[in-house]
Amino acid sequence: MIAAECGDSDACQKLVEAFLPAIGDLARSFKNSRVERLELLQEGVAGLLIAARRYDTTLNTPFWAYAAFWVRKAMQELVAELARPVALSDRAVRELAQLRRARSEHLQMHGVEPTTDELSRATGLTAPQLERLQATERTPRSMEEQLTDRDEATATIGDTIVDPTAEQAYQQVLDAFEIRDVRDLTEQLDERERIVIRAHYGLGQDAQTLSEIGAGLGLTAERARQIEAAALSKLRAALSQSAPVR
Amino acid sequence: MSSDDTALRHNALVYESKDEYLARAVPFLKAGIEAGEGAVVAHTKPGLAMMREALGSEAARVTFVDVSAAYTRPARTLAAYHKVYVEQLRKTPTLRAVADVQFGPDPDEWDLWTGYEAAFNRSFGHLPAWVLCSYDANGTPDPIIEGVWQTHPEVVAGHGWDSSDRYEDPDHLLRRLTPAPAPLTGLRPIPFARGAEELREQLARELAAAKISEAQSLDLLLAATEIANNAMQHGGGIQEVRVGHARGRFVCEIVDRGDGFDDPAAGYLAPREGIGAGLWVARQLTWSTEFFHSPTGFTTRIWL
Repeated sequence: MIAAECGDSDACQKLVEAFLPAIGDLARSFKNSRVERLELLQEGVAGLLIAARRYDTTLNTPFWAYAAFWVRKAMQELVAELARPVALSDRAVRELAQLRRARSEHLQMHGVEPTTDELSRATGLTAPQLERLQATERTPRSMEEQLTDRDEATATIGDTIVDPTAEQAYQQVLDAFEIRDVRDLTEQLDERERIVIRAHYGLGQDAQTLSEIGAGLGLTAERARQIEAAALSKLRAALSQSAPVR
Repeated sequence: MSSDDTALRHNALVYESKDEYLARAVPFLKAGIEAGEGAVVAHTKPGLAMMREALGSEAARVTFVDVSAAYTRPARTLAAYHKVYVEQLRKTPTLRAVADVQFGPDPDEWDLWTGYEAAFNRSFGHLPAWVLCSYDANGTPDPIIEGVWQTHPEVVAGHGWDSSDRYEDPDHLLRRLTPAPAPLTGLRPIPFARGAEELREQLARELAAAKISEAQSLDLLLAATEIANNAMQHGGGIQEVRVGHARGRFVCEIVDRGDGFDDPAAGYLAPREGIGAGLWVARQLTWSTEFFHSPTGFTTRIWL
């Protein structure tokens, strides 16, 4: 639990695997919401990880009793977001038509969905503008929607949804799961700084002395020490920026 | 040297409906935008969508921040908001913000997040910002609403703005809400004679032995470096360093020879001229950081 709280990806994976059935149970209470089950599960996982980052093991509340609130909240917010009626301005309607045209042309020419960059170049709209327009296009499908283009209705979408307890649905969530926001401070360092810090303190590898590290880089131990000092300063600066003085 | 701590206006909006929230939040932000101030809306996705729509064309001049995952630990939440506000203040001389607070339903956490609001007053006191913390009164427990009145000098609710006669001095409130550190047994000393570098090396070995992840290990190494540097520069030198496990967490105590300090907001003050950032950095990187006088000296206890 504590490892997951701190972004240890293996611990998070295990946490998600352990609680996915419980998340699935909660998702059932939103079955009439028109939101796809997979999206609910994914949002529920996000809620679980928020709970893991907040949860104090000294609390009197068992973890799932604590986490269920955040899982349910995440699902409720997804449903609210997608259920929201969107009133488009005239300009937004024109931009949406432009977006649809650009997407259709790209599909016809290349056979694949355009990326955001490609759409941006084709329409002259920025990525945030495209994102807002695309959000208005997300029309959740009803569980009762018919799956046929014939006059005679056959199955409904609800009929095709896999049994919530089936492993496949959960596997889709686990396959798509990734820790998107694990903070890796070393990303702010250059390659040499990363090498020195990781090697000196045995982060993900055996620890080495500064002499050994320096030798490996073709440098003196003292130079390796200076690189380390610069790296630590850089990380400190990144965590302690102040507001401009006016 | 102390900096001006009176620039911030930190008020609260307690609303009973989405319409009431919009009726207050939208004119508040629009007035600021018209005056050339920056504008920030911090909410979860549905709230952001609602505000985007309500702001109309003005939405293009607002920074929208999804805070659904931001309220994890008070120091980290303060750091996250600080980053947003600093970025905005690089573009505009002042800013207005409406920020929805994600308290959570567990009563055992309410003191922690009320303390967060108290710390906010001191943390951002120097920022030229008018921040309206929004609380949905529906379903929000009374103790939390009481805490709103204790931590915000002015509160706007149904009938309008009120000065809070229950507003409590942030230091006083933080001291009241922060539990005293409990004695810990089972920690053992580690060597540190060569200063911060040896301290990091020794700590790194302990962290590896405890199978702490790479990212978390670096967090502790950085935090301990800040505390160690403080101890050496202001605390007369390091007396002792102890490590171990307690309550399922890796713990490191750094004891210095100095007189220590008695500031309940230590480490919550956002970086600014005249105030060191070491404790601010340490708090962000750790689960919690405690400061107290012990029989062996002034102790900083870091919980990972």
